[in-house]
Amino acid sequence: MIDLSVEAKGLTKYFGAFRAVDNVSLEVPTGTIYGVLGPNGAGKTTSLRMMLGIVDPDAGESRLLGGRTPQMVRHRVGYLPEERGLYPGMKAREAIAFMGALRGLDWAEGRRRAADFMSELSLERVIDEKIRKMSKGMAQMVQLIGSIVHAPDLIVLDEPFSGLDPVNQERLEMLVRRERDRGATILFSTHVMAHAERLCDRIAIIARSAGRFEGTVDAARALLPMQVRYTPRTDDPALARILPVGAERRGEAWQFPIEDDAVEPLLARITASGHGVAGLSIVRPALHDAFVHIVRQVDAGFDADPETDAIEESAA
Amino acid sequence: MTPLLRNIFVVARRDFLSIVATPTFLLFLLAPLFMIGMGALGGFGASQLADSARGAGRVVAVVDPGDVEALREADARLRDALPGGKPATLELRVATSGVDPVTIAQEKGRDTYAVMIGPLAAPRIVEREANSRSGRYLALLATEVLRARAAGPIAPAAPHFESLTRGGTSIAAQQSIGFGAVFVIFLLTLLLAGQSVGMLAEEKGNKVIEILAAAVPLESVFLGKLIGLLGVAILFIAFWMAMAIGAGLVMLTQIDPAAAAQAGASAPQLVLAVAPATGWPFFILAAFLYFVMAFLLLGAVFLGVGAQAATVREIQMLSLPITIFQVAMLSLSSAAANAPGSRLATIAQLIPFSSPLAMAARAATDDAKAVHLLALGWQAIWVALVVYVSVRLFRSGVLSGRRDWRFWKRTKGVAADTAARR
Repeated sequence: MIDLSVEAKGLTKYFGAFRAVDNVSLEVPTGTIYGVLGPNGAGKTTSLRMMLGIVDPDAGESRLLGGRTPQMVRHRVGYLPEERGLYPGMKAREAIAFMGALRGLDWAEGRRRAADFMSELSLERVIDEKIRKMSKGMAQMVQLIGSIVHAPDLIVLDEPFSGLDPVNQERLEMLVRRERDRGATILFSTHVMAHAERLCDRIAIIARSAGRFEGTVDAARALLPMQVRYTPRTDDPALARILPVGAERRGEAWQFPIEDDAVEPLLARITASGHGVAGLSIVRPALHDAFVHIVRQVDAGFDADPETDAIEESAA
Repeated sequence: MTPLLRNIFVVARRDFLSIVATPTFLLFLLAPLFMIGMGALGGFGASQLADSARGAGRVVAVVDPGDVEALREADARLRDALPGGKPATLELRVATSGVDPVTIAQEKGRDTYAVMIGPLAAPRIVEREANSRSGRYLALLATEVLRARAAGPIAPAAPHFESLTRGGTSIAAQQSIGFGAVFVIFLLTLLLAGQSVGMLAEEKGNKVIEILAAAVPLESVFLGKLIGLLGVAILFIAFWMAMAIGAGLVMLTQIDPAAAAQAGASAPQLVLAVAPATGWPFFILAAFLYFVMAFLLLGAVFLGVGAQAATVREIQMLSLPITIFQVAMLSLSSAAANAPGSRLATIAQLIPFSSPLAMAARAATDDAKAVHLLALGWQAIWVALVVYVSVRLFRSGVLSGRRDWRFWKRTKGVAADTAARR
């Protein structure tokens, strides 16, 4: 049996008459990096808040770190909320120690770890600077450190990459991997696919308030056929006959999707045709494409209703 | 330390330091100085005004030369013995022909309350107001002179005065102590607990509430904030107590010991002779504990209401009814302090929001001590209850992001939702 750090079943939340989260279930194996993906207003943040016990679900339940209620294991969880917030008058070191102290960490130890983390992330020059004097990105890194300073077993990060420059994004990715290597489970939400693709062992896609996919990144990418880009050496319109239906010519190259079992026969046909190969690539679609595909499929099932969309946005 | 207490302490520590370690706290701490200064200035002005008015007021007796001395002596005898405020200064004039009392009464520069003219047996008294005290005083003086003349010289009584310094405090004095305690606790609570109204708004403003709510139970956040603010209040009170004691000691060193000995019972001794029924040490302790309870109760209500408000304007609008409610509790407690043992007093002691004030007053007039333990427990239960309800409302409304949590907007919100759904 797989050891689970998060076990959410049928989480449902209404805001008035609007169903913000509809029967979302999630199982996050311990020691993994798990991504919750979804478009804006899909219900990611509300789902995470319910999982952590910050808001009560209208239906469903959440268990963390071996079947315990979120309230029982608060000190073993680290959380970076979507809406970043720190006391502007506090110094960075104190802010980190304060967040650690809230989770049961000794103040002195919190201050010591704050210095270590900040040095590691090249923020040592602002360690005794007040938050209000920092840039938004710096403050966000301080808050991130505050979320993990007590070495939690479960780290939940809501849109951690938004607002960070590429250098800090890379530092954050490094930090996430290191925490995973330490043994922590990381659950984060994002709508930037590149991070999820690089980091996540598993992902869940939430769209229109409900879970739409759960599995590995590769499994998500496998939802769409591979894409072929073939450039022949000769320019012969008859070439279209040996290519699958739907092949499109773009400049000198032909592009078309291909199923897994059709790759070898295609290669054989191209070789036999004598048109030669000036360029050939067969690639899996990126997670981005799989995500867009899933979301579009979901959207197609709904009548677009601007008013409902507006409610969804405001609720999120 | 249990996790709950530890969490409360962490939140309280942060709040306490964030308030105290700022330059604005110094301004807050010294604010009473401005109040005292303004009060002193106002009082000085008022006393100047009163002095000048007192100096200007007079009663005039226009009498025969032979009566002047007798009237002056009678005035000296009676003036200090009369209860209440002293009569206006007596001005004696020798009667001349053609003197009009009305003209004297209307002379400019001084207030003339009454003018007496004519023979003492049947004087004519012109008063500014009918049946005035001044007019009757002049009549009394005339009667006194006539009586003294008729009786001849009499040896004055030689009384032996005894002072009831050890005879216990009067009920009226104890009630005054009780009322004083009610008022001081009310004033301090209103001045200091009112700050809690904006505390959760601050957390919502800087978005820290999400971190707090995820990390610790909201009860710890609410209680931590209350206790942090209570710490500030106690620091404030301790500072001013120390200042008052210091000022008292400085004043003592200024008193000439010889003069003090000559005066007999000094002022501090007189103050100490007036004691609440439970004795000063117990009364002061009880008053302090009741202040803490009143502070926590009112602070919890303010905090809970402030947590519900979305804007500063809403906070101000919502805090007004609470202040009015609190003033109503003061009125109830004051009435109870003036009627110890009455049904009204019992009601005031039972209603949780007036209980700290009314019980502090009771400590001044009733020597039962065990009942205070019961009252403190009762009030503590209500603090917990208010915090619990505030947390539930905050959690289900504000934190859940519901748009229909404000009861006064609920109908409208649901209607809007339904419309949006269609």
